[in-house]
Amino acid sequence: MAGAFDIVEHYNSLIKEDASISAPVAAVGSLVKLIEKQNATTMLEFMMIARQACDRLKKATDNSISLSAGCDVFLKQMSRLAHAQSVEECRKALIKAGTDFVQGAGRCRDIVAEFGSPFVRDEQTILIHSYSRVIMGLLGRAVTQNKRFRVYITESRPDQSGLRAAAELQRLGVPCEVILDAAVGYIMEKVDMVLVGAEGVVESGGLINKIGTYQLAIIAKAAKKPLYALAESFKFVRLYPLSQYDLPTHRSDLLSFKEKRADETDWQAELSRSNPMLDYTPPGFITLMFTDLGVMTPSGVSDELIKFYLD
Amino acid sequence: MESPTSPSSQFSREAAIYVDGFITRLRRGQVVEAKRLAMETVNLVEHVISISRWNDVETLSELIRAVGRKLLIAQPRELLIANVICRLLRMVAEESESVKFVEDGWPAREPVREPPSVSSAKSCETPGMGLGQSGALLTRTFAEQVASQLEVESMTLQGFKNNIRNEIEEYIEELENVEANIAKSALEYIHSNEIILTCGRSRTVEQFLRTAAEKRKFHVIVTETAPTYEGHEQARALADVPNIEVVVIPDSAAFAIMSRVNKVILGTRAVMANGGLVAVSGTHMIAAAARHHSTQVVVCAGPYKYSPWFPSSDDCFNTLESPDAVLPYREGDLVAAVDVVSPRYDYVPPELVDIFVDSTGGHLPSYLYRLLRESCDEARDLSWGIHE
Repeated sequence: MAGAFDIVEHYNSLIKEDASISAPVAAVGSLVKLIEKQNATTMLEFMMIARQACDRLKKATDNSISLSAGCDVFLKQMSRLAHAQSVEECRKALIKAGTDFVQGAGRCRDIVAEFGSPFVRDEQTILIHSYSRVIMGLLGRAVTQNKRFRVYITESRPDQSGLRAAAELQRLGVPCEVILDAAVGYIMEKVDMVLVGAEGVVESGGLINKIGTYQLAIIAKAAKKPLYALAESFKFVRLYPLSQYDLPTHRSDLLSFKEKRADETDWQAELSRSNPMLDYTPPGFITLMFTDLGVMTPSGVSDELIKFYLD
Repeated sequence: MESPTSPSSQFSREAAIYVDGFITRLRRGQVVEAKRLAMETVNLVEHVISISRWNDVETLSELIRAVGRKLLIAQPRELLIANVICRLLRMVAEESESVKFVEDGWPAREPVREPPSVSSAKSCETPGMGLGQSGALLTRTFAEQVASQLEVESMTLQGFKNNIRNEIEEYIEELENVEANIAKSALEYIHSNEIILTCGRSRTVEQFLRTAAEKRKFHVIVTETAPTYEGHEQARALADVPNIEVVVIPDSAAFAIMSRVNKVILGTRAVMANGGLVAVSGTHMIAAAARHHSTQVVVCAGPYKYSPWFPSSDDCFNTLESPDAVLPYREGDLVAAVDVVSPRYDYVPPELVDIFVDSTGGHLPSYLYRLLRESCDEARDLSWGIHE
């Protein structure tokens, strides 16, 4: 293997260094570092090392969905470049492409914001779920365009990331309120549109996101409010979940009626231990998606994925 | 707002006069009908191209874009203009693919200019990574790439100009025949003794019904479409067709009569990228009534009506008409006391449409974005003119 270089360590340090970096981008960044350091002599060995590193990365982190999107893009690029004359040539091309990808990734959020900004209008009430950097980008842009709007933010248990979003929006001068996750149905009447981010966008056009997104989407649909999902294209993953339990993050011990002794059970602690962190929202609940490739219908997403992976 | 990258300075004076003349007529509402507007826009662009000086593809595209920008500033809510401009830009891009210009009389040795399609594929050796990056060039081996370079056709500028002119002529012809082409599939949708409901004045729908009536007898109910009463015109146009029995009803009766209707056939002003319609006001009500009664809604629209934009709000492409038709100005006292709003269009969400029929056949609303991709890729270039 690559000797002293530990890809997981590098990945973690990248995430720690820059709070705004996304998992897939950090994954590609680490993979580039890896192939810079290793010195395989045959193409086969070269590809094997990269594949193993991807597997290691996926296993090592709890947030493997969006990370695997980055790994997949990298591996696909590698197989495209396998026609190259020599290993050295392939390595160089891959490093160049990977570095460009990491550098370009920051711009993705701005492009999403640009595509999404006509949808944010004056006097709107927006409901957002949890904390998402790309939503912050869009709303931040709307603020600089002098749009006046109000934002409800779900608290988003168990990590209460909604509070972070609220603090950030408040700093931007946007009137905001944090609501309980259980109050989504209560507040929906007052809302003009719902914005959600995505951990990953899957082949069906649905999305995987922080727990609570699915129920939010169901309520929005029932109330006939538009729900827009925001995602950078490097979050498109090759998965086709048919139910909530098809996600790679699913574990059989989640909410599984384990035998518990009445006197030893701490329900409060049990709560975050046995609850899932992500859920899957089917495409039927999503009005439109704002991505850096443009505004899309959910079915447009599968098109992009097929175009990328099957050409 | 971003300022346009190139002002109209590149127009010759003559071209600018033509463009301004067209804009004046647009503003006065002298060019309203959808097809005429599309055709006149194409003709205008063709004219500007033919009287302007351009020697390469970039200048030509920029010229078309400049015309588009000017028209969009004048009439920012007119989706059709943008559609046509997008289509023309696409045409130029396709035509200039695998073409190298050579100067007249010179051997094909030194290309005057690399066509943008080749130069934009700068990343042959280090391709971009990520979705949306074209992979087509990468999967080819080097030998294939060389071969494709050799296939590049050498062509004089004059030859290219002729090609563009021919393409535009073809497009105009396509526009001219669009109704007839859509009507070709009419018999698949209209059966004997059916009761069809429609609204507004649409020549596409008229042609569609006429074609079906050549073989079959059926009833057509037309809502009168107040306050313009375009429905009356539509009824008059259909009245002389022997196999069609026309009934005119007030708009308010649409829901009541829907239970007897077999099919709703609608025309539209434009179709948004998500499959929503921008159609004459009153259409949403009919589509909603049809949904309530599970009546099929068929929309007849030529490809030039497919717009590359998604609706960012229900009213973003609407305009208001003179309220005189709703509340005549002679009712002076009342006019001062109330607000009268008479929107020209409705936005109909895609869920209420069952099928789109165009010259190539029927399409689901969810498939429209795909069709669009074939005709427009310049949506971003022009979009700044549309949204505030």
